[in-house]
Amino acid sequence: MKIVRLNMTTKQASFEEVPEKYLALGGRALTSQIVADEVPAECHPLGPNNKLVIAPGLLSGTSAPSSGRLSVGGKSPLTGGIKEANAGGVCSQKLANIGIKAIVVEGKADAGTYIMHLTADKAELIAADELAGKGTYELTKILKERFNPKVGVICIGPAGEMQMLSAGVTNNDLEGNSSRYAGRGGLGAVMGSKGLKAIVIEADKTFDAPVQDKERFRAAAKKFADILLKHPVCGEGLPTFGTNVLMNVINEAGTLPTRNFRFGRFDKAADVSGEKLAEVAVARGGKQTHSCHPGCVMRCSNVYPLPDGIECSPVEYETAWAFGPNLEINDLDVVARLNYICNDVGLDTIEVGCTLGVLMEAGVIPFGDGQAAIKLLEEVYQGTPLGRVLGAGTAVAGKVYGVTRVPTVKDQGIPAYDPRSCRGNGVTYATTPQGADHTAGYAVTANILKVGGFVEPTKDDGQVELSRNLQVATAAVDSTGLCLFVAFALLDNPEGLPTVVEMLNAQYGTELTVNDVTALGQQVLTVEREFNIKAGFGKAHDRLPEFFYEEELAPHNTKFDLREELDEVFKF
Amino acid sequence: MVYNYHMLLNGVRRLHVEVRLYSGLEKFVQHAQYGKPIQLELSAGTTAEKLIEQLGIPKEHVFSILVNGNHRKGEDLLEDGDRIALFPPVGGG
Ligand code: SF4
Repeated sequence: MKIVRLNMTTKQASFEEVPEKYLALGGRALTSQIVADEVPAECHPLGPNNKLVIAPGLLSGTSAPSSGRLSVGGKSPLTGGIKEANAGGVCSQKLANIGIKAIVVEGKADAGTYIMHLTADKAELIAADELAGKGTYELTKILKERFNPKVGVICIGPAGEMQMLSAGVTNNDLEGNSSRYAGRGGLGAVMGSKGLKAIVIEADKTFDAPVQDKERFRAAAKKFADILLKHPVCGEGLPTFGTNVLMNVINEAGTLPTRNFRFGRFDKAADVSGEKLAEVAVARGGKQTHSCHPGCVMRCSNVYPLPDGIECSPVEYETAWAFGPNLEINDLDVVARLNYICNDVGLDTIEVGCTLGVLMEAGVIPFGDGQAAIKLLEEVYQGTPLGRVLGAGTAVAGKVYGVTRVPTVKDQGIPAYDPRSCRGNGVTYATTPQGADHTAGYAVTANILKVGGFVEPTKDDGQVELSRNLQVATAAVDSTGLCLFVAFALLDNPEGLPTVVEMLNAQYGTELTVNDVTALGQQVLTVEREFNIKAGFGKAHDRLPEFFYEEELAPHNTKFDLREELDEVFKF
Repeated sequence: MVYNYHMLLNGVRRLHVEVRLYSGLEKFVQHAQYGKPIQLELSAGTTAEKLIEQLGIPKEHVFSILVNGNHRKGEDLLEDGDRIALFPPVGGG
């Protein structure tokens, strides 16, 4: 395995041996460690001293089911802290199959637009000014035609080039749609700041990353697939309706943020739910289920055709919430259109949804007005002042318009579960080093879904411990390249985690135990928190916005109440 | 009308509840659509389990019972005015 170092100041790309200390790391563990080791915490996120680090997970590129997740890291221009954003798509497996442990992009081109072409033995930087300003769908198509149809393309849209704080880094799915985002935290702006528009990866193989003990690995991978398929959520719930099946249950549970976090229920939630999506998608010739990368057995994704024939794949729950209930919009076609534009222009859908919520709160456009939202989002392409406010994220929009109900932590928009009646997730939003992030410690499991036990969502008891355990487990899972959705099975089936460890041991010839995996998760969180402390973060940043402590949320009429208790989360 | 203990025992008191079925459970009930409230009148003392049985939904398909937004067990008694939502296993994120 090698590390590719791309210096955008000198325009040199080179291969390096993997240092000993990085051998046992992958995915988030590796991106966060390299960022902590090489990026000065005080640097400007869009300056030459920040780095963009891209790494496949430890199991990526093997036959382990659902293991093709890609980690992208750096110092976040949105939060000012460390960031790891995680994506599906085909590129993680491709990188692992050509022996690449990580790509480190550093420095900054003083002008121009570049792409990197990467094969097993060559990394080449190519000037590509003709690609400047292209949307990601067209860009990916052009690059596939220019190199070959099977390449994987990691890229940014115009929003990233304009260094907007909510810009994401995307890569393509099997059909070539550039919709698989490492969306959160503005890493697309970091890539844009360096002058890098795309990374083109050539790899013919998908499942042939080196494995030391092939027999043992195959047996463990098969067992793991069985464990996933036997679990009611992984094997049944997700493959039937995808992630947006959550819309109705979160609504019924009274914790669906509605009208910029004013209410906990939206009476028209069913109109934008997974059930409705499946109905419409299938009727229009789309797909109710779909796999974001080869070898996923849970297939939570979908393909939603819009009336004009444009396909948005996928429409995920978080996005359907961000553009639906959060804006009081109950039209899936509007949701999918906003989603498609974000994918093309290169923005994080959650952040854009939260920002639109704040802009609606400010009266810039009315709540419920889907066409106005689409028009506003299209301004991002031109980089108009209002388009730039929208691309700068929730916190900036709140400041520009003097809004106080601004749902952010560490300046990152809060996703689709209201912390007042899903308090375990409130603890995660407040404390994760990533800024408000639902995946960082997905307490919705025990709070609402009754997976991995049950902790009463409107009470404080047990929430800190729940979030702590989930944050540790998640940091470890994000390092393996496994999709976080395997966690549903890991939480309920005692054989789950030992089987993951067995796969790792068979692949790397190691003798890890389940305890080592926990230790890895704790280590990742510690490294990330230390970076943030050096970057200027303290306890006050580990709190929710004031309005969650002061305004009651219907229908449960609860407020968030945890403060000092939050400082206990990282006492492992 | 004034209720007494006897009337309750005899099931004279009726409960009016609203049931919503989701994620495929609606297929077990004729004319039901996901998310569309079904108004039901039940006799006092009806449990969630009993309701599921009355609706003709095989109980192994029901994973979550939410009553007024809170998780309830099958043996829990229903009350007048309850908003009940039934789900198979669901997840995402
Ligand atoms: S479960 Fe969904 S997000 Fe996860 S790897 Fe499979 S298709 Fe991708």
